[in-house]
Amino acid sequence: MFDLKKYRKKSPWILHYNAGSCNGCDIEILAALSPKYDLERFGVINTGNPKQSDIFLVTGPVTYRSRERLVELYTQMPSPKVVVAVGSCTCTGGVFREMYNVEDGIDRYIPVDVYIPGCAVTPELIIDGVVQALDILENKTKELEDAKKLYKKPTEKEGVLNLRDSALKVGEDEED
Amino acid sequence: MSKKTVNIPLGSQHISLLEPIRFKFTCENEKIIGIDSDVGFVHRGVEKACASKFKFDAIGYVVARICGLCAITHSLSYTMAVESMLEGEVSKRAQYLRVLMVELDRLHSHMLCLSHVSENAGFEAMFMRIMGDREPVMDLQEALSGNRVQFDYVSIGGVNRDIESDVAVKVKETLKELRLKVEDYISEFENNWSLSLRYKGIGALSQEDAYRFNTIGPLARATGIKTDVRAESSMLPYGDIGFEMVTKDGGDIYARNMVRLYEMLNSISMCENIIDAMPEGEIFTKLKGKPSGEIVTRLEAPRGELMYYVKGSGKPILDRVRIKTPTFSSIPAFMHIFEGQEYADAPAILASFDPCMSCTAK
Repeated sequence: MFDLKKYRKKSPWILHYNAGSCNGCDIEILAALSPKYDLERFGVINTGNPKQSDIFLVTGPVTYRSRERLVELYTQMPSPKVVVAVGSCTCTGGVFREMYNVEDGIDRYIPVDVYIPGCAVTPELIIDGVVQALDILENKTKELEDAKKLYKKPTEKEGVLNLRDSALKVGEDEED
Repeated sequence: MSKKTVNIPLGSQHISLLEPIRFKFTCENEKIIGIDSDVGFVHRGVEKACASKFKFDAIGYVVARICGLCAITHSLSYTMAVESMLEGEVSKRAQYLRVLMVELDRLHSHMLCLSHVSENAGFEAMFMRIMGDREPVMDLQEALSGNRVQFDYVSIGGVNRDIESDVAVKVKETLKELRLKVEDYISEFENNWSLSLRYKGIGALSQEDAYRFNTIGPLARATGIKTDVRAESSMLPYGDIGFEMVTKDGGDIYARNMVRLYEMLNSISMCENIIDAMPEGEIFTKLKGKPSGEIVTRLEAPRGELMYYVKGSGKPILDRVRIKTPTFSSIPAFMHIFEGQEYADAPAILASFDPCMSCTAK
């Protein structure tokens, strides 16, 4: 059997979407993937397909028309997935904040795991952000596996199986 | 089979696109017979904000965020407009430094375009090679201005940073190496089998059509039309530093590549001339007053003519800022070129236009 979660950390695939940025961060993502910085040596590959991606790199302050596509791309990605907001305007809206066609950052629409500030972000910061995203991706993978521990084993009392309280609340210990 | 048409969308999110643009191709077999485009995905409303939200001295930095690839040309066009409205004189040294940054920006923008073009020919190694060679230019920009992409270098009245003597030496050394590399690319783009097979005679635009659609920039110069704002305008000292017009015949992707490559050689020699002939003086003169009246400025961005119209009435907030960007003016020609081409060539043709959607939609 393939151990998918092992390879997911070794070689995460990136989906990049421009939600209205100025291209500055996009060319820096490209620079981070190309020879001098070479994110690809860590097994990171830029893919155009949301269904094969683990890390979602978003640039731009989310314009009125790109928000539907943003949410659609996010929902098409399989779990576990990590969202990285690249650039100041992606985090808060930046210089475009409160312009009439701008939605002031992506966290109004999708949950964000790593915020990378900067206008434009440097490739070093992008690499740092992706490395942090990898740790979050691993934690998320563990959380997904732990989900079945929400249920504890049915207890037996005086020969009768107690199935009723088998659901364990989140944060409750299994022992008590 | 012969009369059946298929609709194929390209975009708005696609691996070969850096930015959202959507094309809808109507294909008959492999041939594109109809095309529809949608460019408004990145519209943010910068023009409106410039006339309502920001004061005139901040707008130079706001309009730089319209486009990351030609940020300096945007802020410089706006700054030159305001400077002529304030009737201020900018020192010659500041003008030379501005031209130096504009030409470095053109170098890295053309290199990005050429790397994309070779990637779309399936020549991945060339893509990586050009992207790797582009990094020294980005380092120069960082050394000169303090930032790699959005360098807020130009301010109203001059520039924000002076050039240090060791940086000047570094610029000359890097450009000397880059010249050899560009000469290498020229022979590669001329002779390499896969690049010339893919690009000679593909995506051609005739000179009459180029006139008819009023194309600008490398797209027009590749058809033999002598149009370049650097030669037509005298606002920046291009005449003193050895500007030469580059034109090629043919109008296909190959000719566009060649125009870009020879323009890079010209930009390199202009940068070297600027460093050699850098005049002494202040880099910044404070200009007083509020802009009033109206003015149009033009500047040659890497993709063609960039036009700014600024109208003020003596108040800190301007009445109107209108921006006409190079890609927007070329869209009719783009649509014309696509008709009759093979669908498989579409990404390559698109990359050879070097479109900039954030400029177009603003």
